[in-house]
Amino acid sequence: MSAGDNRIYWAKLLILLGMGLYLTQLIISGNLSNYINQRFGWLAYVGAGIFYLLALVSLWGRIKPSFHAHQHYRIGWDIVLIAAFPLALALLIPSRSLGIAAINGGISLRPVGVGNAATFARSPQDRNILDWLREYNRAAPAEFNDLPVDVIGFVYREPVHAADEFMVSRFAMSCCVADAFPIGMPARAEPIDEVPVGSWVRVQGRLHAANFAGELLPVIVVETLDLVDEPEQPYLYP
Amino acid sequence: MDFVVNIEVFATRFLGIFIEAVPFLLLGSLTSGLIESFVKSDDIVRLMPRNRLGAALGGAFLGLAFPVCECGVVPVTRRLFSKGLPVSMGLAFLLAAPFMNPIVFASTYIAFGFGTVFIGRFVITIVVAVTVALVIGIFAKPGTVLKPIAMAGGGAKHSHDDHDHDHDHELASLRDKLLHAVGVASDEFFEMGRFLILGSALAALMQTLVPQESLLALGTGNVLSVLFMQLLAYILSVCSTVDSFLALAFVNTFTTGSIISFLSFGPMVDIKSTLMFTGVFRRRIVLYLILLPFVMNLLAGVLINLALGY
Repeated sequence: MSAGDNRIYWAKLLILLGMGLYLTQLIISGNLSNYINQRFGWLAYVGAGIFYLLALVSLWGRIKPSFHAHQHYRIGWDIVLIAAFPLALALLIPSRSLGIAAINGGISLRPVGVGNAATFARSPQDRNILDWLREYNRAAPAEFNDLPVDVIGFVYREPVHAADEFMVSRFAMSCCVADAFPIGMPARAEPIDEVPVGSWVRVQGRLHAANFAGELLPVIVVETLDLVDEPEQPYLYP
Repeated sequence: MDFVVNIEVFATRFLGIFIEAVPFLLLGSLTSGLIESFVKSDDIVRLMPRNRLGAALGGAFLGLAFPVCECGVVPVTRRLFSKGLPVSMGLAFLLAAPFMNPIVFASTYIAFGFGTVFIGRFVITIVVAVTVALVIGIFAKPGTVLKPIAMAGGGAKHSHDDHDHDHDHELASLRDKLLHAVGVASDEFFEMGRFLILGSALAALMQTLVPQESLLALGTGNVLSVLFMQLLAYILSVCSTVDSFLALAFVNTFTTGSIISFLSFGPMVDIKSTLMFTGVFRRRIVLYLILLPFVMNLLAGVLINLALGY
């Protein structure tokens, strides 16, 4: 084996190990939920396990020369560098969930894909933003008047919003961030322009049908608004 | 929007797709390694149907024996070609296997139940895969389908035709065969992983830069919705094992035909598999492998929409 092959061997081993460690770190830190639906969390275990297996066998082939572990394709530096790209991103850029910055083109009041949702009888206080929007699709705005609301989301504002108007928003996700889309509930609160957009808040209040950005909608009349930490599960799962 | 912020959003979207897909790519690579170690070319030649239609039909169902998703199907197909699999059988396998396997049956069933979508996906996948395999098998001259490297079974170190027989003698013990399979899987991962990575990066870039709302606005229309969902499937390149859940998000706003076309076309062809195709097939064949399934799935989706009376 030439010196160049040798370096590529170690680079490959490093990448295999690094990917296994990265997936392990995602699982341990809980950051995995920034990327994929927790329902598919087991995929990361499978991935990490196979990466470790590949790395171990690669090392074994080096330690025990009698074992026949030659390269089948010419793996060059171009391939190694591309394979290192996800690790570089993971190392250099802090792990973030999709937030206000990922909204490019407005927020949905009518989440798609609610048709197959099982009917659920959650009490109003226990409903999250997705639950509420599903309910909004089912009845006239005035029918929600005076129902109590207690939801967590981030603050989103558009230029058309009046000074006291905003939306409590989340990203809804079916399987991974590829299909995540932002949803939000219209709300009114007095000093809302003091709260920076993107801040995570817990909003408590009551619904009241009103004109919001030119549409009659159930609007949360906010009674209390608290800044909170980003939830461990930042996304809602339809 | 701030450049740094855009990079962060891109990183999240890219890593999301990558993390979701990479375990399936690894499973596909392992399958490929196991085939290399344990399947003798003699077996394939002996078991394959003699006529072309039989071969194509057999290929469409071969996924049940080699369960791979779309990330894993190209390395397995290439491996099977190097073991002497007939072209039309390999092509039908390539197009059908990402759906035609127990894992994807399960995810489609969980998402949609046993109804129009499941049956539609099943039937259309088989019809398109067999037809495309037959068309290319009949009209392409032998030797003009595969790149030379795919036929020879690997890189420069293995250019001999009797390569597989050599291995069958060398790797006597089961343990050696297993270790060899894992070694092959590792190379396979790097070889095919680059396409997954480039494809994921492209899909993430588009999602970061093109407003989602403007995509969703295209929702209805018998033809437009199908065209749109196929383009989306092509660009998103999401793994066939999880695309049913993604399609769920469009059930309310998009036509049923477009959902089915999304599910049957996406696993056959998308950005990352296109890139992988270029490593196995000659350029003209890659073009046919994209266009024929695209047109056939489009027709099927529109017909379903008309039949359901939108």
